[in-house]
Amino acid sequence: MTLAFALAIALATAQQAAAPAQPGESPYRIAGRLPVRIMAFDVQPRSIKPGDKVTLTWAAENPQSISIDPIGRVAPRGTLTLTPGATTTYTLSVTGASNSADKRTITVTVQGTTAAAAASAANVPKAVPRTPDGHPDLSGVYGYGQAPGGRGGPPPTPPVLKPGAEKFKVVRPADDTGQYSSCMPPGIPQSFFVPYYTQIIQAPKHVVIAHEYLNLHRIIPTDGRPHPPDPDPSWMGNAVGHWDGDTLVVDSIGYNDKTEINGYRHTESLHIVERFSRPDVNTLSYEATIEDPNVFAQPWVIKRTFPLLPEYDALNEFVCENNRDYKPLFGNK
Amino acid sequence: MRRYLLAVAAAVLLAVPLSAHHSTAMYRMDHPTTVTGTVKRFEWTNPHAFIYIDVKDDKGNSTEWEIELMSLNHLRSYGWVRTTVKPGDVITCTGGAAKSGAPSMISALLKLPDGRELKS
Repeated sequence: MTLAFALAIALATAQQAAAPAQPGESPYRIAGRLPVRIMAFDVQPRSIKPGDKVTLTWAAENPQSISIDPIGRVAPRGTLTLTPGATTTYTLSVTGASNSADKRTITVTVQGTTAAAAASAANVPKAVPRTPDGHPDLSGVYGYGQAPGGRGGPPPTPPVLKPGAEKFKVVRPADDTGQYSSCMPPGIPQSFFVPYYTQIIQAPKHVVIAHEYLNLHRIIPTDGRPHPPDPDPSWMGNAVGHWDGDTLVVDSIGYNDKTEINGYRHTESLHIVERFSRPDVNTLSYEATIEDPNVFAQPWVIKRTFPLLPEYDALNEFVCENNRDYKPLFGNK
Repeated sequence: MRRYLLAVAAAVLLAVPLSAHHSTAMYRMDHPTTVTGTVKRFEWTNPHAFIYIDVKDDKGNSTEWEIELMSLNHLRSYGWVRTTVKPGDVITCTGGAAKSGAPSMISALLKLPDGRELKS
């Protein structure tokens, strides 16, 4: 540990105000008041010749937002190798709960140059990128949505059930911790609604949609091919895609009957049409139209928006190696 | 409209504890528990990270507590890395303990040996 880093920890700890708890208060509310702090911000070397590289390193704890000007949003901890063309000042800014905030600046001198114009990358609006074939590029890592509105929007309107289809509504005993506790695939569209990220990778003839949750993925052809005849029932279904203007439309069938959609079971006749678009660079708009003639009296539409997370470029590994049987923790006989 | 707003407000209030991949109904979230102990091991994995700590009572008897944390994406967003907690560290965990009385809890915040408090 460098002296500067040790000092940063000491300062950060001294600045930290303890969050007094109210009687009976949820521990998550207590945690929600913890202030942000910068743990480290450094660049080495500080002075270079044109064309040389520098390494920028930073770390923050309990941030609600974190960015480096002129780079943009970054993860709470990271390292970047850069080749600044001119003398550049980098500014790390963090904000957190309880109106906490902090800022540090650091300058790299590029010998024989003057300071680069102080253009703020964060203030320059970016257009939605496009692929060489002209379609919007949906590639990126997306979050599941944040409050307000929960996971990307208000609760969906319940479906209209066919007469006699009430049995498809899921009713759980109090000690059942939900469909996700078992680490079985949640299917579509629920794979978007778990608190883990989704990554889209767009290629000329395919779109890959990968979910961190269970590392589930779909490789969706977009070359106009139809579904195969009578696809085997599967957890994630058989999906084919096409472009409708700037919207990617994904049609899927071939699901098994083991998944739930927002509290409702379905049959193998499930048919889902998903529409993906990127109304702005920071947002993925998602709409799923759900049909099952055995369950629903009319198509059931669920809409969500998911925020782009430009600070991430890959998902975490996900193996349910330490998943628990939580029932014993209830203490019921 | 008012009813709708109430529903949205309820969803927002519930959003934090429901962010785990399972519900927290088996933990006493309305009566926060705080335990201090020495880290035996740290499992840095999805769907949830776990810390196992030795907690000593007044008589010096030791009990192993299982401390469940959030998933790796959440922990990284709070600033965690896999070495944030190390075996031998004395840490204090605040969260909800198992309703069964088992030495098991889900922790919402941790105090590290140098006094830093981190969301967990």
